[in-house]
Amino acid sequence: MLQRLILTFLLSCVAPYCLALDSQTLPDVKAGIVHMTTKDPDKRVGYSIGDIVEREVILTIKAPYKLIETSLPIVGYEKRYRGKPIGVDLQAIAHSKQEYKDYTTHKIKLNYQIFVSTVVAKNIALGPEYLNLINTQDKKDIVKYRIPILNVSTSPLAIFGQVKVENNMSPFLPPPLLSAEKEYVRLKIALGILTLSLLALVYIVGQRAWLPRMGGRFATAYRAIKKLPDDDAGIKQAISNLHLAFNQTAGIAIFNDNLEDFLKQHPDFLPLKTEIQQFFGLSRQIYFEPDAVHGAGDAPMPWLLHFVRRCRDCERGLLPSPVMGGV
Amino acid sequence: MSDSQLVDWRNHALNLESEVNQVVVGQHGPIRLITTAIFARGHVLLEGDVGVGKTTLLRAFTRGIGGGYQRIEGTIDLMPNDLVYHTYLGEDGKPHVSPGPLLMSGENLSVFFFNEINRARPQVHSLLLRVMAERSLSAFNAEHYFPHMIVFADRNQVEKEETFEIPSAARDRFMMEIPIVVPNDDDIMQALVFDTKFHNVDALVETVKPDILQFDELNAFSSIIQNNIEASDTLKRYALNLWKATKNPLDYGVKVSGVDMNRLVLAGASPRGMSMMLRAARVNAWLNGRTAVLPDDIHAVFHATIAHRLVFSPVYEMRRTEIAREMLTGIINAVAAP
Repeated sequence: MLQRLILTFLLSCVAPYCLALDSQTLPDVKAGIVHMTTKDPDKRVGYSIGDIVEREVILTIKAPYKLIETSLPIVGYEKRYRGKPIGVDLQAIAHSKQEYKDYTTHKIKLNYQIFVSTVVAKNIALGPEYLNLINTQDKKDIVKYRIPILNVSTSPLAIFGQVKVENNMSPFLPPPLLSAEKEYVRLKIALGILTLSLLALVYIVGQRAWLPRMGGRFATAYRAIKKLPDDDAGIKQAISNLHLAFNQTAGIAIFNDNLEDFLKQHPDFLPLKTEIQQFFGLSRQIYFEPDAVHGAGDAPMPWLLHFVRRCRDCERGLLPSPVMGGV
Repeated sequence: MSDSQLVDWRNHALNLESEVNQVVVGQHGPIRLITTAIFARGHVLLEGDVGVGKTTLLRAFTRGIGGGYQRIEGTIDLMPNDLVYHTYLGEDGKPHVSPGPLLMSGENLSVFFFNEINRARPQVHSLLLRVMAERSLSAFNAEHYFPHMIVFADRNQVEKEETFEIPSAARDRFMMEIPIVVPNDDDIMQALVFDTKFHNVDALVETVKPDILQFDELNAFSSIIQNNIEASDTLKRYALNLWKATKNPLDYGVKVSGVDMNRLVLAGASPRGMSMMLRAARVNAWLNGRTAVLPDDIHAVFHATIAHRLVFSPVYEMRRTEIAREMLTGIINAVAAP
């Protein structure tokens, strides 16, 4: 704390002296004391009268050197070259600093305003700016640091006479690009929707199945029957689902009296001939004739589930699994 | 009646079928349908060319079920009274009146065969249709009843000259229209030509065991069949859907090649037609040893009981047999149960 008070006192003593100094006559700071980065505008060409050019300079000054803040550029100062105004004013300056034990970081934001109008494109230099630094351990050690110039080009407000565009094109920078971020977001959303639509289309074209053989009539019936309860209503529904699968496979309604024709036209089901007849017997008992005899066993639901799975295997061109014992 | 009696009657019916099948060969389908019609107590329209055995078939059945058999030929000058009586001059030189074919057998008339019905005039059709519907006739100041009579009528679909087409309302009175076609089995065809037993029809019919059934018990037994053979709710819905499909086949996706389905059907099956179909289906179930009607039983009688009831646009009438067959097959293929 005491050190800070002493430093403030010293700076207040030397400040008027510093102001009186011509910065350009001071020695340059030694290399390695100051590190500088700048954020220059992307646009380097096409400035015209009234435009503001923003430049941000970030200085890192190692201890024991400190920036003499009174050496910062003064707002309103008209830039000159060889004594003549060049038409650039410092319109605003914003300064902030962050002090650390071994160094201090300064953020200096400089806004230059163009006050020149030319009839042809012309380079114009912003800067240089000179900052003074003082060695806090040796108050007589005052040095300068030069912020390099920034070259930009001004353009006329109007073109006079015949102009060859090629000659006026800047070799330094491409034209500034418009931000396409929103379009990219929209593109990603559209691609997402397209992908989902294609998946939905595949699902629909595949007859509501994700896999090629998933949408078979008996595969669908198998999935439906698996979910049915093992009671009278469930058995009825399961038989109805199986009839529907047979009918859809054949393209016509299948009954006992055209079962042989069905098997002739769909020989894949021939290994199940006996079971298909048993199924029709079971259907006859459930739906038409309670006294009818069938060979489907005393537990219709497990039998139906196994039967539809075997039908599904036939439908897929596979050899059906062997009959389960006890079913 | 006990189940055993149903079984006994079924055995008799199958025995009758077997006997007739030995006399009229290659006609298993029509013989089953006629047996069905006999037990369903429905009249039958036979369709077929000449000389295919229609008369022999009916005589054989009549012999098997007993009762009287009468036959009349349809001609353009046939009048209604010709069915009831005929007049002649007797040996005594005086006019005499004798009963016609309808009255000749009295109440014992079991089969009345009207050959080539479409050659007779509409007046004759009218009388016959009344007899078919009411099984009674007013003549000679008396009411005559034919409680056991079944009418078999034949019409030649090929020849159309000097014929009177039976109107749809009249066709609807027949329970079935059964096509009789020449068998296409070479062995059967050869036997029909070369086997001498088929040359003498009278002797052939004599080979049928007589009175296998009792014609005067058929009405009562028919009621028993109808009351004992069940029809489940699913089957009723199925029959209902078939009925609707005969009216609006397009609603069920039924199409007939070369036919504008929007214009084809003027009227589908009638309520009477559908009830007759179910009567016949019950008999078919009983003949097959079942206690309830299955869709297969309906299929067995569907064409025979429905085809002749459909009313088509006049432009399609010439192709009626072919179109009706294709349409009804399409309906059976399209309507599912359950």
